[in-house]
Amino acid sequence: MYRIRFHGRGGQGMKTASCILGDAFFAEGFEVQDAPRYGAERRGAPIFAYVRADRAAINERGIIARPDLVVVADDTLVTVPAAAVLQGVGARTVLLICSNDDAATWTARLKRDCRVLTLPAPAAPEAGQAQAGVGALCAGAAAALVGVIGRAALERAVAAELAAHGAPVVARNTAQALAAYDALAAHQGLVSAGGAVDAGARAPVDWIDLAAEDAAAAAPDIHATATSLKAATGLWRVMRPVIDHAHCHKCSWICSTLCPDSAIAVDADHAPRIDYDHCKGCLVCVAVCPSHAIRAIPERGAAGAVP
Amino acid sequence: MNEHVIHRVRDLPSAHLLGAGTAMCAGCGGLGALHQVYDVLGEKTVFVNAAGCMTLLANYPFTPFKGSWLYTAMASAPAGAQGVRDALDVLLAQGRLPPAEDLAPVVLTGDGSAYGMGLSATSAAIERGLDFLYLCYDNEGYGNTGQQSSGATPHAARTATSAGGRGHPGFKKDLFAIWAAHAPAYVATVIGAEPLDLARKVETAIGLKGPRLILALAPCPTGWDFEPAALVDVGRLAVNTGIFPLKEYRDGRITHTRIPRPRLPVEAYLSTQGRFAHLFSPRRDDAAIAAIQAQVDRYWQGVA
Repeated sequence: MYRIRFHGRGGQGMKTASCILGDAFFAEGFEVQDAPRYGAERRGAPIFAYVRADRAAINERGIIARPDLVVVADDTLVTVPAAAVLQGVGARTVLLICSNDDAATWTARLKRDCRVLTLPAPAAPEAGQAQAGVGALCAGAAAALVGVIGRAALERAVAAELAAHGAPVVARNTAQALAAYDALAAHQGLVSAGGAVDAGARAPVDWIDLAAEDAAAAAPDIHATATSLKAATGLWRVMRPVIDHAHCHKCSWICSTLCPDSAIAVDADHAPRIDYDHCKGCLVCVAVCPSHAIRAIPERGAAGAVP
Repeated sequence: MNEHVIHRVRDLPSAHLLGAGTAMCAGCGGLGALHQVYDVLGEKTVFVNAAGCMTLLANYPFTPFKGSWLYTAMASAPAGAQGVRDALDVLLAQGRLPPAEDLAPVVLTGDGSAYGMGLSATSAAIERGLDFLYLCYDNEGYGNTGQQSSGATPHAARTATSAGGRGHPGFKKDLFAIWAAHAPAYVATVIGAEPLDLARKVETAIGLKGPRLILALAPCPTGWDFEPAALVDVGRLAVNTGIFPLKEYRDGRITHTRIPRPRLPVEAYLSTQGRFAHLFSPRRDDAAIAAIQAQVDRYWQGVA
């Protein structure tokens, strides 16, 4: 059975990738499961979708713990623990990362014995533009790597899954999928199907036994306030808003009030400050600032660019 | 208690109570309204939250609130608020809670609950004269599960359950009128894109006793298909095209707090969102756009 996980950010098209790949597998006569992970499927948040494909009926359910192939659409996720990109990645796993760093760099960085491949990272969006979906690209790459999906089946799968979005979207995504498929032609069949998993031999989860306690102690009550500040939603950001304080009119309310995430506070001297640990990069502040004192820059490599 | 402290934008709170780091989408119009509402309400509140997007606000062990929060099933948030109010009243009567530490129950639900599943419990709570505030973030569909259509979905909008070339065949329910028909203490529509109007209405609401509704239109980048950065633009267009009237009901009278002049054509609003894209492409559906315009025109003729 092939077990494949697609990791990306909400909005990048990982669910679409799993649908396209599932469709293509099915066209080649496989039994298929494809599903996005239900959870925080928010724009920019780490998400994943997965595909199982087998010639026989599939009785496995749930998240794929031992993937044969992991496709990573956004290389900044590799180091995000919550994204769990490397979960279950072993010696026979192929890890395909969309990144401008090469495979040797990633192999050295990760210190894993898995096989690492890379594809060039998608370009950062222009200010005000949507992050382009890379679902079809990821599906096309996966289709090539498993080696059992023909070019025609992939092409039909893209058209079938995206038909509702109209011909231009289908054409753009078809080109994207086939380009990735062709780019990995040299690695056709690199990913092999994993063996059956015996439910009886499944390693028990590493439980920590807790003593039964009173409801007052054991119930999931939260007694501290505003603990959400512990959640680093700044990791969702693809674009970063940057305030040019020289041009800020110190209105003291517009960006701070209209920021939906309470991520902009106003100092005593009326200067706004963006909380980059939590700003999700929605760029509402950029859009509403009347003096255009906030601009957006790509998050990738932004740390050094911020004054 | 009817005197406003908030007269102009400079009076809006500059420190924000609601914690960042929630699981709401980037550019969430519901969160944008909630954080403004919370600044005026203050932390002595108990949010009673029906299942919906905002269930993910307080996701153990995280909460953005400085005060309390309680989760209920989708149809029963007003009943939960009744329980909270009753418990507080018992504690107050027994002298176990100083009056200064009393809390205000605030029901927080999306439109799926407010317009549909929870309407029976809401009607009963108003009927009993429950002293509570109801905050509905209306993103016009079941957003948390992928934007299936709800009782609040506008005519012609594409949703996960109305994906054909014509969009949603039904019409948005008038929740404001349904509430007003119960003759409650207060009903108001607000939107995060108009912070001063919002703050003044919340201020009015907390000065009153009895059932009170704050109905916030919540532009939803994910469900309505627009760029998160356009949140405030979309909200302002909802008001300036007259599609979402800002108004309040009090003492049997309805007052419009903003009459858009000039009123922009509805397509200025519709064309900003992917959920209405089929009205413009591949062929422009003049009849459908004109029908929506006519409906909005009819509404405002009744106002003037």
